[in-house]
Amino acid sequence: MSETTIITTENLNLWYGENNAVVDVSMQIPDRRVTALIGPSGCGKSTLIRCFNRMNDLVSSCRISGRIEFHGNNIYAKDADPVEIRRKIGMVFQKPNPFPKSVYENVAYGPRIHGIKDKKRLDEIVERSLRSAALWDEVRGRMDESALGLSGGQQQRLCIARTLAVEPEVILMDEPCSALDPIATAKIEKLIDSLKQQYTVIIVTHNMQQAARVSDKTGFMYLGKLIEFGPTSQIFEHPQEDLTENYITGRFG
Amino acid sequence: MSEKFHSELDLLKQDTLQMVRFARDMLRDSMNALIAEDYSNALQIASRKKEIRELTISLEDRAYQLIALYQPMAKDMRVIVCILKMIAAAERIGRYGKDIANMTKHLRDQPECAEPLPLPHMAALVTAMIDDVTTSFEKENLALIKDFSSRDNDVDALWHSIFRQSLTFMMENPKTITRSTYYIMAARYLERSGDHACKMAEYVHYAITGERIEIK
Repeated sequence: MSETTIITTENLNLWYGENNAVVDVSMQIPDRRVTALIGPSGCGKSTLIRCFNRMNDLVSSCRISGRIEFHGNNIYAKDADPVEIRRKIGMVFQKPNPFPKSVYENVAYGPRIHGIKDKKRLDEIVERSLRSAALWDEVRGRMDESALGLSGGQQQRLCIARTLAVEPEVILMDEPCSALDPIATAKIEKLIDSLKQQYTVIIVTHNMQQAARVSDKTGFMYLGKLIEFGPTSQIFEHPQEDLTENYITGRFG
Repeated sequence: MSEKFHSELDLLKQDTLQMVRFARDMLRDSMNALIAEDYSNALQIASRKKEIRELTISLEDRAYQLIALYQPMAKDMRVIVCILKMIAAAERIGRYGKDIANMTKHLRDQPECAEPLPLPHMAALVTAMIDDVTTSFEKENLALIKDFSSRDNDVDALWHSIFRQSLTFMMENPKTITRSTYYIMAARYLERSGDHACKMAEYVHYAITGERIEIK
């Protein structure tokens, strides 16, 4: 199977004030594959994925050099629209963060602000998104209940459904399972596996077994640098770099 | 947790190396007993079969436990794979030793062959291979196994030569059929043990480098 690239970074550097948090990262993220980023806390992996949908724009001390291309277009170009980029490149966070609204409204929110008003179309989008997020069967009778009444794992899948509702191409996940129990985690992992039929998933995780289970490619980051990036089986079976080897065998980090 | 894991893995590796050496001793001692027709020693060697079985079970269980508790990766994972393969190979070698030891009693009062066969030489080559693969894993020294392909060819050549020689003896003097047949079997077991040494060497190479090789 040949891979096409959806996101490319070239010599990407990011500073928070004086702190060079991402150092010279060049990588190619394959389309419709799961890419995992691993590394010790503070190595820059979350910062890196936040560059992909310009979430770091919101941090005032943040400065970026180098390039990030999405389908070959520079996402930091002057005429690039961050709102449109964030629609195409959605994000799911560490802690489930549903809006304090009903289940239905959580999913319908995005399409609505992008201008969809027709109730029937919204219904379709909500159902399709919830089905894709493997949540439909559990919430179909609870559409008008508050999303905050769902379990943590359900809330996280609702957040994924909310992301899917605006038809993104890429889903960024920042530690999506770290606040969940093993059963909820297994459901999210199964979901990630099915999502790659249609979407590109980039996941940041501290859980190396999780990275090994769900991803096709894995990148190991350390002190802001991308130390090694390759097929997941290679990274976990015989990494090429000693640093990677030492990290994944628990000798530091 | 990682320190505990690594010290347990180290200990498991040391104990596995010891088991391989135990199996090597069974093979070497059984060949000595066979050549010397030392019946009482042969009996004692055959009884070590129980120990090698117990070692297999207890070492394997420790390896499984490490996998279940720590989900090892990269080199740690490869070392455990190598350990499991070495345990299996050592058990086979030990059991060949037991089988050879058990042949000794059948040689009692059997007429001698026309001339001695190079069985002791073959046994020395094979046990040296087992020694070297063990040390190469212990010291992570691949130089010790790099000539295994040609050494295995020598062992194979000896097996064919012993086989042909024994056939000649049997044709010349059918009274030596029993003895020659046991010698052929012993040579065959030695040849198999050499192959097990090569298989172990392939896994030692994998454990140390992550690359698969085939020793032909």
